[in-house]
Amino acid sequence: MRCDKRRASALVIFFLAIAASIQSSVNQVLVYRKKYVMGTVFEIAAYDQSPERASNAIEKAFREIVYLDDLFSNYKPDSVLSHVNRSAHFHTETIPSDLYVVINQTLQFSKLSDGKFDISVAPLVNLWKAALFGDSMPSRSQIEQARNCVGYEKIELTPPDQITFRSPCLQLDLGAIGKGYAVDRAAAVLRFWGIRKALINAGGSTILAIGSPPGQTGWILHLRDPSHKIDPQIMLQGDSVSTSEQTAPSLLGKDSAGHIIDPNTGMPLKTKFAVSVIATTGTASDALSTSLLLLGPAKGKAMINGMPGVSAVWISPEGEMDLVTGGPQILFGKGP
Amino acid sequence: MFLISTPAWSSVFVKWSSSIVPPAQALGISDLVVSWNEGASPFVKQAHKQGYRVYIEVSLQQAPGAAEKGIELGLAGIILNVRQSERVGLENAVQRLRSAHPKLRLLVLNPDGKQPQMRGSLVIRRHSVLEVSSPTAQPWIDTNLALVKMEQTSHPGQNPLYTFSWEPSDSGLQRHTPATTDYALAVAEAGAFHADLILDVDDALQKALTENDSKAWTLWKQVRSYAKFYPDPAERQLEAAANVAVVVNELDPGDEVMNLLARHNIPFKVLRPADLKSEDIEGFDVALVFARPNRQVLERISDLATHGKTVVLVDAQGSYPWQNGQSVRVNEHAVSYDVGSGKVLEFSEPVTDPETFAQDVRRLVGKEHALMSLWNGLTTIAVPYGERRGNVKVLEFVNYAEEPLPVQVQVKGSFASIQYETPEHQCCESLVAVKNNGFTEFVIPELRIAGRVYLSVAPAHASDSTGVSSH
Repeated sequence: MRCDKRRASALVIFFLAIAASIQSSVNQVLVYRKKYVMGTVFEIAAYDQSPERASNAIEKAFREIVYLDDLFSNYKPDSVLSHVNRSAHFHTETIPSDLYVVINQTLQFSKLSDGKFDISVAPLVNLWKAALFGDSMPSRSQIEQARNCVGYEKIELTPPDQITFRSPCLQLDLGAIGKGYAVDRAAAVLRFWGIRKALINAGGSTILAIGSPPGQTGWILHLRDPSHKIDPQIMLQGDSVSTSEQTAPSLLGKDSAGHIIDPNTGMPLKTKFAVSVIATTGTASDALSTSLLLLGPAKGKAMINGMPGVSAVWISPEGEMDLVTGGPQILFGKGP
Repeated sequence: MFLISTPAWSSVFVKWSSSIVPPAQALGISDLVVSWNEGASPFVKQAHKQGYRVYIEVSLQQAPGAAEKGIELGLAGIILNVRQSERVGLENAVQRLRSAHPKLRLLVLNPDGKQPQMRGSLVIRRHSVLEVSSPTAQPWIDTNLALVKMEQTSHPGQNPLYTFSWEPSDSGLQRHTPATTDYALAVAEAGAFHADLILDVDDALQKALTENDSKAWTLWKQVRSYAKFYPDPAERQLEAAANVAVVVNELDPGDEVMNLLARHNIPFKVLRPADLKSEDIEGFDVALVFARPNRQVLERISDLATHGKTVVLVDAQGSYPWQNGQSVRVNEHAVSYDVGSGKVLEFSEPVTDPETFAQDVRRLVGKEHALMSLWNGLTTIAVPYGERRGNVKVLEFVNYAEEPLPVQVQVKGSFASIQYETPEHQCCESLVAVKNNGFTEFVIPELRIAGRVYLSVAPAHASDSTGVSSH
């Protein structure tokens, strides 16, 4: 599982306008803003007839993301999640609705993925994060100790807003879903304020489209392709795409840590694939991309087969590819 | 640890193109730069009357003629705009000019700076494409630190001087007008890096300032406060600290490895092979050798490794003396050789993933030798300064996100007093110092754009003994 999704894992291209559409888009002004939040750069590009309205809406969307960061962050010691991580072992905590909703959704993805997606992986993530920053590799006993703390079934939610940890060392990390949820909330804010054409980018790991650019049928995005041979593309129109990829292995070392940890083994996931998932919401695409990376193509395909609106593509640096198209069609610029 | 000498702290030169200029006293900056043309004389006279030291910016070809004219006009100096790629023979040309015009200040400008900014991954062009930047450009800040370090090597006798052009970045359809924070960040960056900056003042702002527009002057007042924050003679004796050496043949400002080392707050110094002869390299913990090693470089590499340090030889093709010793194949691209109490890592290929390479370098330095580490500071660059062969005494911080962020800092050494100041709130706020195994940890509660930390081994009330002024 990851602590923070690999940034810029998707190559994105969208065509803003074509000559034939200039007339129809003449009154549409593009407003673009960026903000550092949730440990990454969020960007919002929105078309609207009123740049002031677009600017105001974007500002409100960013405020929503900041609000969610104050709930979800496990870096900020005063975030709600940090508080829960410190105290929900001792007594039931009442939590804000957004936190309750997102944790509830993670439990569904945990069940779907047979426990591969698990937000209680935080103790292992923290252990390996230290190794990524130059500490020695954790010992077998440290890994086992942390692994004993992990298990989504130890999270108890009581509607409408209560949480209890059924383990004295349980810790939650929303890194694999928080940005996706934030993108959804930002989209809801933009829509509420009348924005009908926008793209929200959470540091490249999750990108959600509202409507389509003026004169276009959708936003064309080029997905992450570690082989540089395939150039997968999709046309987003109201959907979200997320990409997951393990930290690149060290160039000068034998052992490598990594930010995506397999909760079953307690070890950094060893995979050469990058996986991109298209789903109807940012929350779903974000959670699914991590799940599918951890599961690998064979089990991952089985998991999402039949899921409405979900497409996925796994690509290796050698150009191996696996594909599921239950949602938007994935196109190939260079052909697989 | 190695300390890099710089001749002075930072100055801001204002680049002006409008025909009218406000008084220097009002602008708060006295060095004015104008492009050279035959009609510049009246403006130069006006600028002198307004209290400026006037410099003209010229190409190398224009320089001799401009220097002659410059004496007549009473110019403070000439600024040679020379790209890195055009610098063959530059030193000789500069020497000739200096000999011919000893009273004229002659500065070499690197015009290849980039607008300092936190970069998003979407690139917008009308009727064209929007794409994310490459992973090697992550995570998302454009900084001139590597360029400044290269300039320090290229012209050791001159404070690095650079400029950049404002990029259209706020909207895909309109040219971006730089905001107060953009100017402040540009000034802060140069100041924190102890470099001189030619600040290109946007035409609209020039016009507004000359028309006494109150909003424009409010903006400029903030820029001025940033400019005043840096050129403080009290800290001139301090030098940039570095424990990683980067040995290169060519000084390429686009070098992504150096940009990523800078971005990851790994203090480094750029050396050319010839510098190794005279350089006291024992202060480096890691040396990254990109230059083709000649006999002299090989000797110095062996020396360094013998003394327990790590040398990484990139794109190593050839036979080297240490290859007779014990070796370990690290992976398919890297072999490690034991040399004395250190090691030489031969990397068989050029660096294809500078982001991963920079993280590897941090790991090679090791936590015990890291001069400083930042947490939650992905948009922040910190530069350590100290006295030669002494502890780090000052840390300069620049936050490219341009909005307040908490930054956790760990710096090598045991310090009792951490004093913090910013352009907005001058000296000093005491920060809580926590000593931990030879390191000191503290948190900057809200780093907006620029900040400076004074470290002292003595308690705060005795800080005068550190040699750092308390303002």
